[in-house]
Amino acid sequence: MAREGEARSFRRKFCKLCFDKVERIDYKDDRRLTRFITDRGKIVPRRISGTCARHQAQITEAVKRARILALLPFTSEQYR
Amino acid sequence: MKLYETTVIFDPGLEEARVNEEVERVTQPIAQAGGEVIEVQRWGKRKLAYMIRKRRDGTYVHVKHKSPPELIAEMDRRFRLNESVLRHLTVLAVKESRKTLAAAEAAARAAEEGAERPIAAAAAPAGAE
Repeated sequence: MAREGEARSFRRKFCKLCFDKVERIDYKDDRRLTRFITDRGKIVPRRISGTCARHQAQITEAVKRARILALLPFTSEQYR
Repeated sequence: MKLYETTVIFDPGLEEARVNEEVERVTQPIAQAGGEVIEVQRWGKRKLAYMIRKRRDGTYVHVKHKSPPELIAEMDRRFRLNESVLRHLTVLAVKESRKTLAAAEAAARAAEEGAERPIAAAAAPAGAE
């Protein structure tokens, strides 16, 4: 992706979940969800990931559920 | 009666027999209350993303079931009292959307047709299914 200060190459972001035609994102699918959390365990905002509103809402809910089940971290331990 | 998904994380120290016993204690009340256990998935021992009660692993069991809503509160109460349950979560299961159902049905139909007419299926190039 283009970095600040460099000559930016504009490339429109697109929702990767729409691209893959994902109907519903599941909280049990932690492998897929890890793509939408930062290395600190935060949920990646839409402005970064480019996800559409519908899928972002689904990600948010799924990540929160996965955290309860300890499939995903609330926070990365090494930063504590 | 509603469709639910319940996931329970048991103490990793429990032996297999004890886990089976605990699972029984989840499924039995469902049947008793007039519900239906649709599927029991055992994910086995998994690493936890963070420590729960000083445990790094947990034995995961996932149950799909149809239950009366009143039972969920009772289930929750029992899980909280149960010392061998590290964590539990019950959510409403989403019904398959019509689109995915239609796709699955179409796939099943295609497979069936293929089986009925083996010659046609053999003649068709692989990957047509």
